[in-house]
Amino acid sequence: MGTINSAMSMIGGALDADQEALSVVANNVANANTTGYTEETPNWQENAPITIGGIQVGDGVTETGATSQRDRVLEERLDQQQQTAAASTTRLAALNNVQTLFTPDSGSSSATAGDIGSGITSFFDSFSSLESDPTDNALREQVLSSASTLAGDISSAANSLNQQSAALNQDAAGIAGQVNSLTGAIAQLNLEIESTSPDSDAGTLEDQRQQDLSQLSQLVGINQVTTENNGLSITTTSGQLLVSEGQNFQLTTGTVNGATDFFLGGTDITSGLAAGGGQLGGYLTARDQDIPNVLNSLDELAYNISTAVNMQNNAGVDLNGATGTVADPLIIFNQPTQVAGSAAAMTVVMTDPSQIAAASTGNGTGDNSNAVALAALANQAIVVGQTPVNYYSNFVSTLGSTVSEVQAENTAQNASVTQLQTQNNALSSVNLNDEAAAMSTLETSYQAASQVFTLLNTLMASALNLGEQTTVA
Amino acid sequence: MGELGQGWANPELKAIVAEASRALAALDALRLEELALSCQALNRSMAADHDSDWREEMARQAREAAADMAVFGRVLEATRANLHVMNRLREMRLGQLEYKARSGAADWTEPQAGNGNGNH
Repeated sequence: MGTINSAMSMIGGALDADQEALSVVANNVANANTTGYTEETPNWQENAPITIGGIQVGDGVTETGATSQRDRVLEERLDQQQQTAAASTTRLAALNNVQTLFTPDSGSSSATAGDIGSGITSFFDSFSSLESDPTDNALREQVLSSASTLAGDISSAANSLNQQSAALNQDAAGIAGQVNSLTGAIAQLNLEIESTSPDSDAGTLEDQRQQDLSQLSQLVGINQVTTENNGLSITTTSGQLLVSEGQNFQLTTGTVNGATDFFLGGTDITSGLAAGGGQLGGYLTARDQDIPNVLNSLDELAYNISTAVNMQNNAGVDLNGATGTVADPLIIFNQPTQVAGSAAAMTVVMTDPSQIAAASTGNGTGDNSNAVALAALANQAIVVGQTPVNYYSNFVSTLGSTVSEVQAENTAQNASVTQLQTQNNALSSVNLNDEAAAMSTLETSYQAASQVFTLLNTLMASALNLGEQTTVA
Repeated sequence: MGELGQGWANPELKAIVAEASRALAALDALRLEELALSCQALNRSMAADHDSDWREEMARQAREAAADMAVFGRVLEATRANLHVMNRLREMRLGQLEYKARSGAADWTEPQAGNGNGNH
């Protein structure tokens, strides 16, 4: 009877264990579409063997709970890739807005920054036209009109850039509140998880924490350090503590030189956050690096054109025979005192076209030699060692390259995130065979892609070579 | 396939490169193998004699595909890094399981590893 009882006990235990396991599976099925849910597998513990007739016989298993199929290393890698992808997505959007300002506005006669290139050409061409008849009032008015268009285009672009910078500043400032809310939630979850582990699986709580971490990674660059009992400390990528197990540290904001800076414990960490990734990194890079670079280029253009043209005009004689004085110079544009801010402030101050100094001193008011000199500025290296048109052209080209570079980065980073999400889903499955299959797919894809890359590289080199041979022939 | 649109019957190099990036992002190994075969065929056809119009057309396509090729290179690099991480991860996981098996730990958590009688 003892044997039958033992067998019945074993069967009963097995049924109980299966029932518990089925509950875990049912929970997995019920949460199949729950965002952030990590699949759980039942834990089995072998029962102590029993001895029947001197022989040890297994006594089956007992289901002791469930363990979430998560992998912290992979999740961290995914979070880290999401940070860089979020940063480049945000930066790319900002750069596209900047580039729109300098894209020629086809089919429109409105003065936009996109017309700066042709505005420069038109302005200096108007002096060439004036050479033919320096006393013609209509030609003189044309000079002031084209000067006004050019100044308007440049100042309009600079003002739009300042507005974009202000909007980025506002978006960046708004992130601080979201970061504090998430770090607070993570600190609370840390406490709950630490009080649960290691005696049992805190799967649901860890799912919540992972979702919060994923959101936090989208916002700001972070590092994660796992602590005792599955707790978590979080720092910014530059090392400032945001969460230490059950405690979070508030990210605060303050205005420094007109822009929002970010502080942790009284330390300004803005530059570290800019380099760290996440949306905040993207906003700050665009606000503190990209837009200032573009503005500086425009300022150089405005400052140097204004200064060179004003100096040359002031050196000549106007239609009334007057020359410029220190108190009353003959200038076309307002004279900037420094490079910074020159673009936004660029405007035409000359209102009387007769003040255009087409003549040189001592040659009479009908002379055109100073108009020739003014027109010749178009071909002189008056803007940081380049002609005005070349400088502007190089500036637009550099901006385009930057946008293209960030676009390429962004595409690659998003592809990487997609791959990791695929792998993470595979790792959340219930057996090692699925995991191996996922790895095999990754390896096969990489090998096939490497082959495609090599073949395409050869193909493109051959195609370019054939094109060159054709041109030479 | 759909992204290639009407030009798929005779796609430009740019479209092929972009398709390769998309397939790699999605880890579509079969699609990548198809593309590898297509590229092999294209390479073979490059060796044949062609008129100057064809050569110029191919050179134009190659120039236009350069930016997409840079993107594909970056996706490939990101994939290599991910593969490295996943390989390390798998080694760690397998190492943990082997350690558990040798130590005779009773709380084995992989269901397919046990046979229900406690015999690992």
